[in-house]
Amino acid sequence: MPKGPKWKTAILMIASTLCLSGCVEARQLEKLGLITAVGYDLDGKNTIKGTVVVHKFDALAKNVTKVISVEAHTSKSLRQKQNLRSDQRLVSGQLRCVVYSKALAKKGIIQLVDTLNRDPNIGNMVYLMISEHDASSIINVGKKNVKLNLGTYLYNLIRQNVESEQMLSPTLQDFNHSYHDNGKDPVLPLLKLENGDVSVAGTALFKDDRLVGILPTNKLFFLKILAEKYKSGTEEFGFNREDFKSILKGNEGRSFRTVYNKLFLEIDNIRSHTKIKLVDKKNVRFRVEIKFASRLLETTEPLELGSAKNVKFIERQIEKKMEKEIHDLLIFFQKKGVDPVGIGNEYIAHIRGKKITPKEWRSIYKNAKFEVRVKNTIVKTGVID
Amino acid sequence: MEVNVKPRDGLQLHAFLLIFIVHSTQIGVGLVGLPRIVYLDAGHDGWISVFLAGVLGGVSLWFMVKMLGQYDSADLYGIHADVFGKWIGNFLSLMYMGYLAAAFFVIYINYIEIVQVWIFPNLPTWQLGLVLTLLSAYAVYGGIRVVVGTAFLSVMGTLWMVFVLFVPLKHSEINHIFPILDADIEQILKGAHNSSLSMMGMELVLFVYPYIKEKQKTQIFSQIGNAYTAFIFTLVTFVSIIYYAGGSLEQTIWPVISLFKIVRLPNLERFEIIAVSFWMLIIVPNLCIYLWAASKGFSRIFAGKQKWGLWILVSLIFVSSFFVKARYQMNLISDIIGKFGFYAAVCYPILLYFIVSAKNKYFRGKNNHAKGS
Repeated sequence: MPKGPKWKTAILMIASTLCLSGCVEARQLEKLGLITAVGYDLDGKNTIKGTVVVHKFDALAKNVTKVISVEAHTSKSLRQKQNLRSDQRLVSGQLRCVVYSKALAKKGIIQLVDTLNRDPNIGNMVYLMISEHDASSIINVGKKNVKLNLGTYLYNLIRQNVESEQMLSPTLQDFNHSYHDNGKDPVLPLLKLENGDVSVAGTALFKDDRLVGILPTNKLFFLKILAEKYKSGTEEFGFNREDFKSILKGNEGRSFRTVYNKLFLEIDNIRSHTKIKLVDKKNVRFRVEIKFASRLLETTEPLELGSAKNVKFIERQIEKKMEKEIHDLLIFFQKKGVDPVGIGNEYIAHIRGKKITPKEWRSIYKNAKFEVRVKNTIVKTGVID
Repeated sequence: MEVNVKPRDGLQLHAFLLIFIVHSTQIGVGLVGLPRIVYLDAGHDGWISVFLAGVLGGVSLWFMVKMLGQYDSADLYGIHADVFGKWIGNFLSLMYMGYLAAAFFVIYINYIEIVQVWIFPNLPTWQLGLVLTLLSAYAVYGGIRVVVGTAFLSVMGTLWMVFVLFVPLKHSEINHIFPILDADIEQILKGAHNSSLSMMGMELVLFVYPYIKEKQKTQIFSQIGNAYTAFIFTLVTFVSIIYYAGGSLEQTIWPVISLFKIVRLPNLERFEIIAVSFWMLIIVPNLCIYLWAASKGFSRIFAGKQKWGLWILVSLIFVSSFFVKARYQMNLISDIIGKFGFYAAVCYPILLYFIVSAKNKYFRGKNNHAKGS
């Protein structure tokens, strides 16, 4: 046992440490309204309308969520005004989803994204999305449904699609990264109301922080192949029946009706590996090399898949089709002046000695040329031949 | 004043503890902002700057230990008195004490600011300040063994944080690092220079040396500590550069804490809050060891009690923290002390080594404190 006075100082110090650490402000869960989703709309020319979904922890309340909609110029003053209309203090620590209307996104959203970054209460994994019409209409879906917490619902909708790789991850972190990257532009999912349900209707392409174009859902497969390591996703390809005549199964007694005017193959991506190479610095020519392992899921007509030659034939056909699709997609991006693939990063990484500003890259990008080479292997054709 | 300090056996430390002393003192509040600072100077080659700074620290450390090796069991205060005599030597010692106290102060206000920004925006500075100063004063009260104990605990307790870096690695874009060596030498050296605030800490060897039991092993263990720091710092900078886009790294004040934002556990959404709290474990040994070294000066120079010096320093630091209010003031202070730290921790020991060697060579007969005379 230490001597008396020393012992006393020790106790005094520990006690004061404990007391002081209890000094911080307490927040009781029951007294808080947790914002789970926010929607921003352009209201007239000069104001934005903010709509929030607030989750309550009140066992007696019938409605677990509440929707508040107000107008202001900055998102923080929106919050203050929303607070005036709430019986609970609104906090944003549980924010999951932020929806911007398309009209607002066309004017630029960085002001509203910046405030999310600045606020240490908001995590980096918040999903950002764009709504085809009013953001408030999407937020208001939750109003009709008592049990539904829209914040969580939207969050799960996106997360489920991101995890099954149907969508590029639209987190705040990803948006920030692409926005600040000199050689890449951000993309966000586009939501639409369909028969009272929220659904994903495409991918919004951004040039800096402004929305400049929409990529339809069926092209997303190729963007994902280009932009990141991709391990799933399915895509259907349509071919002329004549091209496949040689490997069509003969109608031996049974007849298969030809339903469509074309022959469709559905393939599934097992793994893909994409390399974008700058092959010619002077003329800015890129070679996109894609190694692609796939699985044949469905054919609209019976094909003879038993022999290696036939499988090879299908592989080649798909390769050709993909090369064309991907090349078209790159040209489409180039025309729009957006670079969601990150081709600029590839370019900047190979240019020494000078710093390339985003503006310079945009003008270089306009004249870039692409060649696409796809190496497709059909590794499985399912349990039957 | 006695040049050599002869602590009794019970106070002596194993040499391997130097790994923890050096490493835990170097790693601190500076690391949190390091990637951004070097990025501003050296661009995407910042990690090379950090590595160079680590090498430079190692070189300086080598000179320090070589210099200490010329004495039996001296610390910097003793060497000052021996080389420069009573008046100039004590003046230099006072300056160095001032630097140590200033280093304490920088760590202290920077950490409080981080807590205020990230967790408790309404927390007054003095509350956390009181906790931190009392905590470190309490540790220093326990003497060198307790101080080194906190260093050991801190390194062991935060070892796991390195592995968290794998999470942001998954979201990173390796292309950002190319082309390697794009920045010119001047920029890279400037980055290395500016990371000195984060690299400060190896100079503490100058004060703990008398307490080391196996003095011949000082060199190897302190170098291991420095090398480990250099490795961690380079790794963190590298990950930050590939994880952040250039523009956002330039804007992020504490890139390392923002790195933790990406980590998300099922029952813990905001991992960075854990990281900020754990950072206290990292900075407490920093505070303790700087405070210990500075307050040691009182007993060495004035032959007073270390206890009094401790309380004088603690109250001075606590009061000064009231004068720092805005972020730009904090930046200014950190900058000045970081610059000063570069000279005090890196350049000065090398210079002193040559002075000591010259003195021992030419005035060997007169100097009856030096070894072998």
